Amino acid sequence: MRPAVLKTEDLTVKFGGLKALNGLDFELCEGQFLGLIGPNGSGKTTFFNALTGIYRPASGNVFLHGKDITGVSPNKVYGYGITRTFQRLRLATSLSVLDNLIIGNQRNLNFGIWRNIFDRKYFKSQLKEQTEIAEDLLRRFSPDLAALLLKPISSLSMIDRRRVEVCRALISEPKILLLDEPSAGMTPDETRALMDELQGWRAQHPTLSTILIEHEMELINKVSDTCVVLNYGEKIAEGKYSDVSNNPSVRAAYLGED
Amino acid sequence: MAANRLVGRPVSGESLIPMSQLKTQLVILIGISLSVIVLYGFLYLEHEWEIGLLLVTLPVAILLLKRANMLIYFQTAARMMPRFTLVSFVLGVLALILLLRHEHFALLMLTTVLLYVTVSLGLTIQFGFAGLVNFAAIAFFGIGAYSMAVLNHNFHAVPDLVIILFSGLISALLGALLILPILRTRGHYAALITIAFGILLRTFLEVNDVFGGPQGLKVDGLEILGWDFANSFPSVLGGGSFYMAYAIAALLLAAAAYLLTRLIEASWFGLNMDSVRLDEVASASFGINAPRWKITAFMVGNFFAGLAGAVYAAMSGFIAPASFNFADSLLLVSIVLLGGIGNAVAVIPAALLIVVLPEKFQVIQEYRLLLFGIVVILILRFRPNGLIPRGLRQYFTGSSA
Amino acid sequence: MDPGFFAQYLINGLVQGITYALVAVGFTLFFGVLDVIKFSHGDVLMLGAFTALALFLGLDQLSTPAWLSLTIMLCLGVVAMALLGALLCKFLVLPLKESPPLNTLLITLMFGSVIREGVRLFFPNGSNPKPFPALLPETSINWGNLNLRLDSVILIFTGAMAIVLTHLFIQKTRMGLAIRAVAQDEETARLMGINFNKTVLMTFALGSGLAALSGISTGLYYQEINFSMGLMLGVIGFSAAVVGGLGSIYGAIVGGLLFAFLQTLGAIWFSVPAYKDVFAFTVIIMLMAWRPTGLLADRSAERV
Repeated sequence: MRPAVLKTEDLTVKFGGLKALNGLDFELCEGQFLGLIGPNGSGKTTFFNALTGIYRPASGNVFLHGKDITGVSPNKVYGYGITRTFQRLRLATSLSVLDNLIIGNQRNLNFGIWRNIFDRKYFKSQLKEQTEIAEDLLRRFSPDLAALLLKPISSLSMIDRRRVEVCRALISEPKILLLDEPSAGMTPDETRALMDELQGWRAQHPTLSTILIEHEMELINKVSDTCVVLNYGEKIAEGKYSDVSNNPSVRAAYLGED
Repeated sequence: MAANRLVGRPVSGESLIPMSQLKTQLVILIGISLSVIVLYGFLYLEHEWEIGLLLVTLPVAILLLKRANMLIYFQTAARMMPRFTLVSFVLGVLALILLLRHEHFALLMLTTVLLYVTVSLGLTIQFGFAGLVNFAAIAFFGIGAYSMAVLNHNFHAVPDLVIILFSGLISALLGALLILPILRTRGHYAALITIAFGILLRTFLEVNDVFGGPQGLKVDGLEILGWDFANSFPSVLGGGSFYMAYAIAALLLAAAAYLLTRLIEASWFGLNMDSVRLDEVASASFGINAPRWKITAFMVGNFFAGLAGAVYAAMSGFIAPASFNFADSLLLVSIVLLGGIGNAVAVIPAALLIVVLPEKFQVIQEYRLLLFGIVVILILRFRPNGLIPRGLRQYFTGSSA
Repeated sequence: MDPGFFAQYLINGLVQGITYALVAVGFTLFFGVLDVIKFSHGDVLMLGAFTALALFLGLDQLSTPAWLSLTIMLCLGVVAMALLGALLCKFLVLPLKESPPLNTLLITLMFGSVIREGVRLFFPNGSNPKPFPALLPETSINWGNLNLRLDSVILIFTGAMAIVLTHLFIQKTRMGLAIRAVAQDEETARLMGINFNKTVLMTFALGSGLAALSGISTGLYYQEINFSMGLMLGVIGFSAAVVGGLGSIYGAIVGGLLFAFLQTLGAIWFSVPAYKDVFAFTVIIMLMAWRPTGLLADRSAERV
């Protein structure tokens, strides 16, 4: 068994009286690709927000490599090597692809006043380095994307925006990647293309662990190693897709509705 | 390779025109000369019909130049050699100051424009980059002015230049104290608190005898590096207006503020500020500490305002609470919106229009707040990016940058 | 402290507090339905008071009895401002729905400044304070150090009634239901067949009408109004709404009363009257930092 990278114990998030997440125990192993499924409002995105420090859990703990990181700020979570994408894209649309990727690579930038404002020679070399990293990443992830490096996000198509958002999450070489429904707003073909690119990336980076929130059951079936099913903030099943999809309570909660 | 393109040549979606270095410099010089002539017209012409004519011809001329594809030459050239452009502009305005050395009123106006440009650049960093509204710009300008008055009066031994810097610092620190408690809250709280501060500061100054109450304070003139600003031009050379030295000081201040604004914009600082403005949640998820960048922007911006206020105080020789009205803060915000949010160059023409037009047209003087209010409403409604919208972010623009 | 003085401060504070609460309810309503801050609110209040004054000057020529003048002033003043609020919403706020929230804030702030300048420039002798007619009965009772003015009591009662009626309107009527639905979730409300634009316009009309009411109350109480009175009242009303919890009517009431209480406290503590506002705002800023979502609002999380 591969070691657990991320673990939650009894994780609970409340909004007023409503428990959006209720006592969730969860484990993610190194290199695993885990599908997170469940009906609308079952707490999937809330789970991401609790992991990344946007919401503060009411109780329970989050452990990264055995270290308790419950309730730390989003900045720190990023520093620990957890990055994410958002269901409704959150790119800076008036900035270029390059700028967005550099934002994603925060922790490798030098923020000294002298090195930024006054020593412009040094800054230029830094910029050149970041540009090369970004361009290289785009080329490896999706070759056509590299040509768009200097274009503003607002001029990109939906799938390219999704790709850039994934790349922004990948550029800092995280340990854990959280993907929040990347298929939203895309055609099945586009989704498939994106997933192929992701699988290609994972082949090159075997230690990267991924959690994917997804509605398309077929997609989960195709890409994930295991899945976890949430309903009303609780885990109702976990295991291989083929097992989970036959679980009666899952069928009742989710597949029955579909 | 994009990397080479990026540092070697301009980065922009617009088409570029290849030019030799000499030609580039020539184009810049022609463009700058034309701008300085227009500036001269705005400052020197007195009759309303003259200014009116200028106001009508200018847009037509700009449009014609654009049609004839001449404007793009200048834009490209200025982008290729930003430092050469800035230096030529400063020298051009310097020549203008010498030319107008006997014109008190024109010089006073020019100085006011330049000081307003400085404050507006501060607002550009706060508001245009970091997305932090500040409706108390004139209050921070006032803090700089009062600091100058008090410090200069009490510390004769300290050089004036140091006192100006201190005035800016006091402004920046007081601003930080004001905004610190609410940095993690939603954006409109900053609006609320700066408005309250902008209104209350005047009351505070009026009831405090240390600051001269409603009557205000006298301020000593400047003396920098042995140059007494009061007799600004050696009489051997024909003498000159009292305002001349202040105009030059304001010019240097505005140029320095502009340079710093551009350097901040073209660094990771500016990138992070933009990111915080555009999406705070996404920024936080990528390790950007939003409060840190907001406070940095707020302090730098108020530092500019404080410096400008200090120079203003020394020039006026006298300051009173009534000179620092909330309405003037709105006027400064109007400058930024009219020019184009986040575009540092755009505040120059915008400040010129908003400061000079009311002085030249008696009708406007009385109605200026009403008119500019309407103009800003129309801009926000129909052209939210201003007259000269900010372009894509750029880091390096010239081959020698 | 002498109980008479104490009661006096209490009554004066209540009149103030109710006025602030009326303004704060407006902010809360706008924010509830549209997530916008309408900074022209205070100036609409001022314009309401000036509209009433202009009406009075006209009616005075016809030697209308005081009670009738007052009724006409109130009705027309409130209706006029409600209309203005709806127009502002239709032409300046709704069109900017998709732009950054900052732009809405700026456009309404500038609109307020246009109203302010308009009154200053076009109302006869508008830059000076204007006497406002004392139309309420001037009877008062003295108990020791307490001077209880009948008009204070009427104003407190009217303000409280207006807030209660607004609350009932929102809780009990169909339109109120629509307002609540839109405040919950715009998209769902639309799907349920609610006319979104109409609901928002209605809300703006309601809030602006309340502003006119508080403007007229202020005029009646102080018997003087001026073109810049709205600026401070708007900022105070907004602070009250924020501290109470934007989106909650109870919060607006609590915030309004709290602000008046702080000002009163400041007035007792400091010899310089100007410091009472400085004191009140300092405490309010601290409260905002401590509880950014307000004292009463439930902690709603931003959708990510």
